[in-house]
Order: sequence, then C-alpha cells, then structure tokens
Amino acid sequence: MLNLLWILLGSYVVGILLPLCLSRRPEVQSLAAGTPAVVATSAGIVLGLLGITSSEPVTASLVSTIPLLTFAIRLDPLAAFFILTISLTGLAVSIYAIGYMRHFDGRAPVSVLGALFNGFLCSMTLVVLADNGIFFLIVWELMSLVSYFLVVTEHEKAEVRYAGLFYLIMTHVGTAFIILTFLILFYDSGAFSFEAFRHPKQPLPEGMRTFAFLMALIGFGAKAGIVPLHVWLPYAHPAAPSHISALMSGVMIKTAIYALIRVYFDFLDGQFPWWWGFVVLLLGATSALLGVMYALMEHDLKRLLAFHSVENIGIILLGIGAGMIFQSYWLKELAALGLLAGLYHTINHAMFKALLFLGAGSLLYATHAHNIDEYGGLLRRMPWTGVFFLIGAVSISALPPTNGFVSEWLVFQSLFLSYQLPTVFLKLMLPIAAAILALTGVLALACFAKAFGIAFLALPRSTLARHAEEVPASMRVGMGLLAAFCVVLGVAPMVMLPLLDRVVTPLAGISIGGKVLAMDGWALAPVNVEFSSLSTPALSLLLMALALLGWGLAVTFGGRLRKRRYKTWGCGINLTPRMEYTATGFVQPIKRVFSTVYQPTVKLETEFLHESRYFAKRRHFEFHIEPIFEKYLYDPLVAFFTTLADRLRVIQAGSLHLYLTYIFATLILLLLLAV
Amino acid sequence: MQVLSYSGSQLVDLCSALLLLTCFAIVAQRRLSACVDLFALQSAFLVVTTALVAYLTGNQHLYIAAALTGVIKVIIIPRVLKKVIDRLNVKRELVMCVNVPAGLLICGGLVMLAFFISQPIIPLGFLLTRDSLAIALAIVLIGFFTMIARQKAVTQLVGFLVLENGLFLGATAATYGMPLIVELGVFFDVLIATLIAGIYTNRLQDAFDSVDTNQLTVLKE
Repeated sequence: MLNLLWILLGSYVVGILLPLCLSRRPEVQSLAAGTPAVVATSAGIVLGLLGITSSEPVTASLVSTIPLLTFAIRLDPLAAFFILTISLTGLAVSIYAIGYMRHFDGRAPVSVLGALFNGFLCSMTLVVLADNGIFFLIVWELMSLVSYFLVVTEHEKAEVRYAGLFYLIMTHVGTAFIILTFLILFYDSGAFSFEAFRHPKQPLPEGMRTFAFLMALIGFGAKAGIVPLHVWLPYAHPAAPSHISALMSGVMIKTAIYALIRVYFDFLDGQFPWWWGFVVLLLGATSALLGVMYALMEHDLKRLLAFHSVENIGIILLGIGAGMIFQSYWLKELAALGLLAGLYHTINHAMFKALLFLGAGSLLYATHAHNIDEYGGLLRRMPWTGVFFLIGAVSISALPPTNGFVSEWLVFQSLFLSYQLPTVFLKLMLPIAAAILALTGVLALACFAKAFGIAFLALPRSTLARHAEEVPASMRVGMGLLAAFCVVLGVAPMVMLPLLDRVVTPLAGISIGGKVLAMDGWALAPVNVEFSSLSTPALSLLLMALALLGWGLAVTFGGRLRKRRYKTWGCGINLTPRMEYTATGFVQPIKRVFSTVYQPTVKLETEFLHESRYFAKRRHFEFHIEPIFEKYLYDPLVAFFTTLADRLRVIQAGSLHLYLTYIFATLILLLLLAV
Repeated sequence: MQVLSYSGSQLVDLCSALLLLTCFAIVAQRRLSACVDLFALQSAFLVVTTALVAYLTGNQHLYIAAALTGVIKVIIIPRVLKKVIDRLNVKRELVMCVNVPAGLLICGGLVMLAFFISQPIIPLGFLLTRDSLAIALAIVLIGFFTMIARQKAVTQLVGFLVLENGLFLGATAATYGMPLIVELGVFFDVLIATLIAGIYTNRLQDAFDSVDTNQLTVLKE
C-alpha cells in the first residue's frame, strides 16, 4: 500500500514540475498537467478503498532536524475515506480541466495553473494523511496558499483581487485558531504527534477540552464555511476558475470536516458534554437554512452554488452534531448512524457540487457570461451539459434516485431517532432541526428549479446564449463521470455503506454495518428496521415503472401520437425573451415570505414621457438584499481594528530617528531592568 | 604565566579603550570622510584587539576573524563609503539632531550607564578579557546614539558599523568570539548591509536631492 502512496505523491510532483518545464504550447502543457493528475487520482481511489478495508492503519514517517516536527503520515479508514473523496472528485475534475484550460488561453499561464492544480490536490491529500501537528499545519497552510493563488488566477480584475484577499484573511484567521487548538492538545501531551494527542499522559482538564472544542470549531469552521464564517465563499468561489471552484467547494472545505471529526472523535476521544453536539447541530441548522436562502437570491450561478456549499456543510454538520449528541448519551449505534449520515453526505456533496460547478464552468466556457439571466435555451444547444447539470440539480435538491436523497434521508432518520434521548429539551430540538432540514430541501429545490429553468429552458436571453455551442469531449467526460457517481451512490448505497461503516466503527466504537442494511443489503434502515427503511433500487424501479405507466396511459387513452412542430402560441404576438420569467421574478414570492431575513431594498424609478404621465418612457428596477453578517458582524469588527490602527499611528511618525529612538529607549530600559 | 596573563589583560583593556576613544572622535567629527577614516581606525584597533586575544588564548579561529575584520572593515567598507561620499555633494554635516557638545556629554553618560550595568556581571567572569565587556556595551550604545543624532545617511551607516564593532568586541570579550561559522555569517551580513545602505543613500540623493533621512517623513500618508 505504501508503494501506491509513493506513486500517488510522485505523480503529483511530476504534475507540478512537468507543465513548468515543457514547451510553450498550452495544449501540451494542459495535457502534461492533466495526465499525472489522472494517474495520481486513480491511484488515490485504489489507495482509499484499500485503506478503508485494511485492518491496520498504514504509517510512514521521515524525521526532520526541526524540533517537534516529523513528516509522519498515517492512513486509517477516516483518512482513506477522505482520500477516496478527494481522488474521485479529483479524477473527474482533472479530465475536465484538460479541455477547460482552453478557456484561459492568453488570459492566464496554463503551465502555472496546471502546476498549482496538481499542488492543490497533493496538499489536500497530505492534509488528511498528516500524522503530526506541525506537519499538518504546514500542509494546511500550503493548501490555503495554493488555493489563494488559484483564486486570483484572473488577478487583473479588481473584484478577483478583493475576493482573494478576503479569502486569505479568513483562512489565516482560521489557521490562528487551529494553532491554538493544537497548542492546547500539545500542552498536556508534550509532543505534536497525533499519537500523543490521542493518548495524553494525563487527561486534559474539562475547561481546556471545552476551549479546544471551541477553537477547533472556529478554526476549521472558517474553512468549512459555517455561518457566520461563511462570508468568503460567495467571493472566492466565483472568482476562481470553475474547475478550481469545484475542488474548493467539493473537496477543500471537506478537509475541515475531516479535521473536526479527527479532533472531536479521535483526539478528544469522543467524550463530551451534550451541549457540544448541540452547538454543532445549531450551527448546522443555521448554515443549512441561511445558506439556501441566500442562494435563492443569487443570479450569478457560481455565487449561488457557493451559498449552496454553506447549506450542504450545514447538512453534514446536522448529521455529525446529532452523532455527537447521541455519543454523549452513550447511544453508540445512533452516534454511529449520525456520523455515517454526515460522512455519506460529505462524499455525495463532493460529487454533485463538483458536477454543478463543472456545469457552471461549461456554461461560462460556452457563453462567457456569469449571470443566469443571460443564459436561456441552452438545453437545445448544449444537451450533454444540460442533462449532467440536471442530474446534479436533482441530486442537490435531494430527490430520488440520486445520492443527495439517500444521505439526507439518513440525516433525517438520525434526527427523528432522538426520541430515544433522555432529555425533553433535546427530544424537542432534534425534530425541529429535522423540520429546518425539510425546509432547506424544499428551498433548494426551488432554487434549482430557478437555476435550471432560467439557464436551460425557454428562449436564449442574450446573443451570447444564442451562439453557445456544446463543450469539448474531455469536459463532457469529466461531468459525465461525476453524474454517474451521483446516480450510482444514490441507487446502490449498499456499495458505499459497508465502507462507511468501517470508517465510523473506530470513531463511535461500534459497528452498525449489519443494521443499516436490511433485506440482504437491498434496503437501508436507520439501525432499527422497524422504525423505517428505504430500498433505493426498488424506489428507482418504481419511478421507472411510473414513468412507463404514464407513457403507457398516454398511448392507450391519449389517442394517436402525432408530432407537430409549431411555435408556442403567444396570443397572436411573437414571443421574445423579454417575456420570460426573470430569475428575480421567479423568486419574488419567496423573497416576500422571508422578507424579515432578507431585509430587501427595492427601488423602482420611472421616467415618464414628457407629454403625458400615463406613459412611461423607461423603468429602472433595483433590488438588494441586506448582507446581514457583513453589515452587523464584519463591518463593526473591521471598523474596530481600523480605529485601533489609527490610534496606533500616532507613534508612527515616519521618522527614522524616532524609530531608532524607540529601539534605543527600549534597549536602555531593558538593560536597566536587568540590573 | 600569571604575569603574562595580567599584562595581557591590561593590553586588551588598553586596546578596547582606544576603540572607545575613536567612538568619541566619531561623535565629535562633522566631516563625513573623516568619520569614515575614524571608523577604519577603530576597526584597525579591533583587529589588534582580536589578534591579541587570539595570541593570548591560543584560539586559532580568532586569527581568521581578525584577518576578515581587517579586509572587510578596514579596507572594503571604508572604500565603499568613500565612493558614496564622492558621489554626493555633501562633505560636512551642518545640522544635527543633537549638537556636538551635548552629544559628547550624552555619550559620557552612556559609558557610565554601560559600566553601571556591567558592574554586577564582570566579577562573575573568569576570562582575561572580561573588563572589555563594559567597553563593548558602551560602544554599542554610542553607535546607536550616533544613528539617532545624525541626519545624513552616511553617518548613520557609520553609526551602525560602530555598533557592530561593539558587538564584535563584546563577543570576543565575553566568550573569546562566536563560532567561526557565525562570525562569517555576521561579516557577510555587515558587508551586504553596507552595500545596500550605500545604494539606498544614492537613491535617496536621487529622489530628494539630499541624503537627509528626515526627508523620509514625507513618505508617510
């Protein structure tokens, strides 16, 4: 297995170096970056599967001369699961990128982009493999920096630079908290190796454990995009090239989920008071709901998807939070179920979110437009992209027979099973979380009805969309691969569940593999078959049968099927794109219902004809929703630090002599103090 | 042996005192080229001191350090500085933050301070150079003070180099010199710092028509 690991890392290194050394032709360079990435991710898939199924964790280490740092890696089922997720997504994205690079011809150096792409995948792989605190921090920072450089690919645009800066600041603030977490863990164990974190010499005092919990939640939460630390996502994801957004949203933010599970269930040994889990649950519910609500109001497709990442991180946290609550009441089976649901949604979200971002990238490639109000009628022009995007949309809206449905169903079940908890408060709260999740699902459906409908159906809304063409083969293959994963993971969860069970077993301390699968593996059950069960293959068959039935009924009773091609009837006038629903119009009812959350400002200016006030010459409509978190949380914070800096500026006179005098005075003072 | 050690210690003290004396001369000197010459003289005294310590203690690597001091601080750096001065049209420093008599008084105070601070430490030492520690500290402080008191970039640079000389003397006095690799690194640093500061001075002249570092305040928003 170690050999496989070296192949994996070696391929990434080749992928970093090769495009930089090769000729100047972009096609060659993008192939030189893509091929090693495909090899490495394929190796990663095998390695992930082997790692999950192997009985003993694989370790390797390289001692360094720097104190406390060893380049130690450890492949246990949890790490292997995330390597599998990274590699599955990475494989599809690498194939996609080979064609997508043409989009950047002349706008960005393809060689650098390809090298960074490989570096990004490599650093993410190392993050989940790292087995030493300092090594982890190094690769974590590497991941952040590489992704920063990828975000600012189109750095000649001011908004891209702003997005990059925003991301960089948020991720570094997060890293500061992560360092604190590790220092707390280091405090008692005296070493930075994860092994020492797992088995400290004496158990951490309760206060320190709570502190570690909160610091880790903030630190990794900033990377995961938990509300209210999510503000960088809607800036960074649209700014980055689409295949990078797919990786950032699909995989990178998941490394934070990995780290949270690692810290809570591994280092802190899965022993915590109930309110830890409750806090995670609360944050999850808030993130899920607010994420999807803000997504609804977005018309930039990639910003919309970025907000959906916040939503899905929320759903993952709902599963993990429920698991943590059950864990603190020693309901081991349910704890395992919650974790399993969260992890299942992690891999599912990686698949469908990457697919949707790649779809968004294809639309960008074909039309060069960001706003969905400039698309329209693309299903006919780009049928492949349309179908793949639809599969992604169905999946993210949690509809059967796709993967999103299965994992959300599992999250629901673990929340409903709260009736086994001993306290009334939690018995009430978990079903409320389930209700919020239900609302989230519905809103997500509305959002993707909007996104798909406006972008792909009806008439083209701009000349850009009218001249759109289907994207090259490699991009279609990349999307198709992810679409296939979405369907397979949805129809055949019995393939994935035993693997997930192996991941969860060491964390929750119990194996529920036999209990989540009923009917010889053909149906899912939330531990207790009596409570409820779901057979996805049967469900898919049923759906197909229903479709056939509808068709059959139409044939039998609907008379002769006759094809007649004619224009849509428009009451006698020619239909134009201006008559179509706009994205804004589509979500108007939802905006009204939730106006307390959105706090919209609507501005309608009408310019009348000079002759008569009954005829409007031009109307100008504007509407904004209030960015609550930025206005009430971040702006005051920024203002506070700016004032502080202004105060400190008094001592910064800009005079060299003054600075020297400061140093001199300090020196003298210290010398006198020392005497 | 006792006599040799005693007289050796006296000789080291004498050389150190000469180093300190040149410091005062630098503080009192207004002509830029003379300042540089004085710095070269000080460095020459440093070479003698180091060589003396090397001879008395038998630490071979101190000879190398002395030779390097000779090459870099007595020959190369003064030359670089002279070139910079030739290029500038400033020969004398007319305006200072602190005038010469006041500066000398302050330097006297600094020397007292240095001795006051080192008083409790010196008896703890057992090396024959231990008395030089107070002098070294005084030189560091005076070098620093020169950087503050002068306005021209060249004299500030000389102040920095004097400070470095003090540090070197201190290292020799306290521990018979740092490990050779560290000393080599420090020499390299000083050389590079001088070159950079020289270039910086030229740029300053081009940008402001003056090497007065007070001009830099206009860079502030």
